[in-house]
Amino acid sequence: MREYLIALATEGCIFSIMALGLNVIWGWAGDLDFAFYGYIAIGAYMAMVTSIGRLPAPAQYVLGWHLPFPLAALIATASAGLLALGVGAIALRRLRAVYFAIVTLSAVLMLQTVISDYTPLFNGFDGLYGMPQPFNDTLHLSPQGYSLFFLAFCALCLAIVYVLLERLSESPFGRALRAVREQERAAAAFGRSVYALKLTAYVIGAALGGLGGALLAASQGAFNPTAWPPAETLDLYVAIFIGGMGNIRGVILGVFLVLVVFQESTRFIPALWGNPNVSVAAREILLGLMILVAMRYRIQGLWPERARPGRGRTAARPAADPRPALLDVRGLSKRFGGVEVVRDCSFDVREGTVVGLIGPNGAGKSTAVDLITGFATPDAGVVRFAGREIQGWAPDRIARFGLMRTFQLPHEWPGLTVMENMMLAAPARGRDAIWRPFFAAGALRRAERADRERAGDLLEKFQLLDLRDEPAGHLSGGEKRLLEFARIAMAQPRLMILDEPMGGVNPVLGARLADAIAHLVALGVTVVIVEHDLAFLERVCDIVLVMALGTVIAAGPLAALRADRVVIDAYLGEAPVHA
Amino acid sequence: MERVGLGIGFGLVTGGVLALSAIAFTLQYAVSRIPNLAHGELLTYGAYAGYVATRWSHSLAVAALAAALIGGAIGWGINAAMIEPFLRARVRTTAIFIGTLAVSLVLQNIILLVFGGASLAYALPAEDSNRVGPFLWTLRDEQSMAAALVVMLLLYVLLHHTKFGKALRAIADNRDLARVSGIQTHRIIQGTWCLAGVVAGFAGFVLAVTLGTLTPSLGFTFLLVTMAAAVAGGLGRPQGALAAALLIGIAMEVSALYADASYKLLVAFALLVLVLLVRPSGLVAGDRGGAVG
Repeated sequence: MREYLIALATEGCIFSIMALGLNVIWGWAGDLDFAFYGYIAIGAYMAMVTSIGRLPAPAQYVLGWHLPFPLAALIATASAGLLALGVGAIALRRLRAVYFAIVTLSAVLMLQTVISDYTPLFNGFDGLYGMPQPFNDTLHLSPQGYSLFFLAFCALCLAIVYVLLERLSESPFGRALRAVREQERAAAAFGRSVYALKLTAYVIGAALGGLGGALLAASQGAFNPTAWPPAETLDLYVAIFIGGMGNIRGVILGVFLVLVVFQESTRFIPALWGNPNVSVAAREILLGLMILVAMRYRIQGLWPERARPGRGRTAARPAADPRPALLDVRGLSKRFGGVEVVRDCSFDVREGTVVGLIGPNGAGKSTAVDLITGFATPDAGVVRFAGREIQGWAPDRIARFGLMRTFQLPHEWPGLTVMENMMLAAPARGRDAIWRPFFAAGALRRAERADRERAGDLLEKFQLLDLRDEPAGHLSGGEKRLLEFARIAMAQPRLMILDEPMGGVNPVLGARLADAIAHLVALGVTVVIVEHDLAFLERVCDIVLVMALGTVIAAGPLAALRADRVVIDAYLGEAPVHA
Repeated sequence: MERVGLGIGFGLVTGGVLALSAIAFTLQYAVSRIPNLAHGELLTYGAYAGYVATRWSHSLAVAALAAALIGGAIGWGINAAMIEPFLRARVRTTAIFIGTLAVSLVLQNIILLVFGGASLAYALPAEDSNRVGPFLWTLRDEQSMAAALVVMLLLYVLLHHTKFGKALRAIADNRDLARVSGIQTHRIIQGTWCLAGVVAGFAGFVLAVTLGTLTPSLGFTFLLVTMAAAVAGGLGRPQGALAAALLIGIAMEVSALYADASYKLLVAFALLVLVLLVRPSGLVAGDRGGAVG
């Protein structure tokens, strides 16, 4: 009985390490990866071929080294990470969630076919065996003593992984990752490279899978292709799902509940009706029902990911100097299918001004904004911002360069707190680099504290301070809009494009938004506002641009434009459409 | 060249069934934006229903009807019991995705419980192959291709020349816009799942008849190729799914003449990855993120 419990606990530790790896990929970065079990397998195989030496013929495989276990495990971890780098580099670039899941599924199937059929690699379908017990060539323990020692070793590995991940989770890198999961486009608009973040997470997760695989090989002593059908990944998903997606402790809880307690207890379902399939089938059906029940009644898992509270605040920083012609757009054009939505559009925006952009529905305003901010690529034209030509840059690069935007519907990261939303908007300056929480941790803490204080200050100005620990998803529409403005103030871009900020906002809140925009201008941010509400524009704008049929037809103070024949025909004559 | 011709012939048979399955998959995706991983079980249930009906009635027509009915019922049920409620509760897409996998697990193992894990044989009389141009087909191959063709033509008419089809395409294009335009989105989506279930159940029956055997994992295995075809064709695009299914079917069967049959699946997925590298949203530009603005 004691031996049995020790074996179970060991299994639990190993599966926990694997599940934590998958949790980085799925729970944090939000990517549905079906290749994960392949990384575990690669870890197991690599650990074996670097530590079992030469087995007698006909077994054939690469390497055949005789390294001590820590070195073998290191190679296993690195190999899994390297493979993930290759798969991720292809699958994460430009592919959306569903496509990613299917491409990773195909990757693991290919891997399995190659390993099963190509014998010289890892001995094909027969697999490998004869893995020596780690460290026992120096320890010479009794079987009982050794199983206890190995449990302690696995628990130690789990503890180390736990501490590292806990640290990573609290760091700007972890926060940026969760931001990407919640709202990819908003993350890009705030200067985060979605691709780089996701790829990093993918490699880390897979490397942990490789480590788990090495430990699995060491505990089983043998490994072969029948040991890893792709469906095995599902068990890990169930464990994460039940335990609490994204929460490290929840994941470990889920592994022990689902993979250890549940799997072991259902092993004893007797073979009813003389049908040997009953116990297998009944277990799988129960597993499936568990997922569905969990989805229905406790989607966040038994131990949900908690929002992290914020601390402290101080004074804001002074405004930047105004300078002329910050944004210069020349001959911008874009065609969708047969329709030229933006046609030879040219205008400029001077630093320190507030510029309105109006025009009838379908004039191409939002498309022009997309083209300028990199969310769409122009067919022709030049966008010069702060002296650089930025057309064709990725949106996150443009954002980092100081040109940010909002969307017609407020984009927030709903699962993150108001304070976390603010922290994500702080200029990154390489701070969410993965190594930062481990090296240079002091400098990071200081910078974090400063940002937190500034964020608190801004939240107070925008009257959101009471809500700072509230998940942003709980805010009202107007509060979300205010939070968006506060994030902009936090990010300190040089130019901000607001796409219909007054859409669906009541008049009382409208006044608060106008104040908020005035506050942004006071901070030195140049603002372009796409809007229908002329009264609002008259209050806040220095200059108004009028767009019709994809091009700017007039520019000037709104009072002057009201007298312009062309403008009246194109826009003002037509009753402005309100949502 | 002789062998390539044979391979293309077999490929058209495989591609026909695959096309039915992939079109059903893609239609469900088009209206709900959730890839249904329990899709394979629609085929499995169709196949088993067809098997049971054949044993009872000794008529393949009755069997085909039974397969289509049970597929439609399950498709309807999956959406009504799971997809719609979770979508309404705004559950994360990836979580619903996992949920469909759970449904697949449950359905697949119910078959295992009832019928056992051993493969059942369709005791149909052996048939001689006859030559048609460069191709070598049995009568059953020809029937299965003809059936696939007829179903696809019916689907085409349904999608392009009926009110239901127009509403379906409107929802696929923009669900919110369709709703505010007075289309009864709920009923059309339910109907689409039912329709896709009917097509998939029928495809499962055809698949089992062409293979001659059926196992509880029949549909799940076929799901992998189905997804490869649907994704390569551009998710949510029936025409794309058809083109990709034929391409993949032919590539698989041609490759099987030159290499071990276990590499068939590999060929399908290699083709998929290739397509996605060149055209990330599939052959016919498939599902993209909703444009802002």
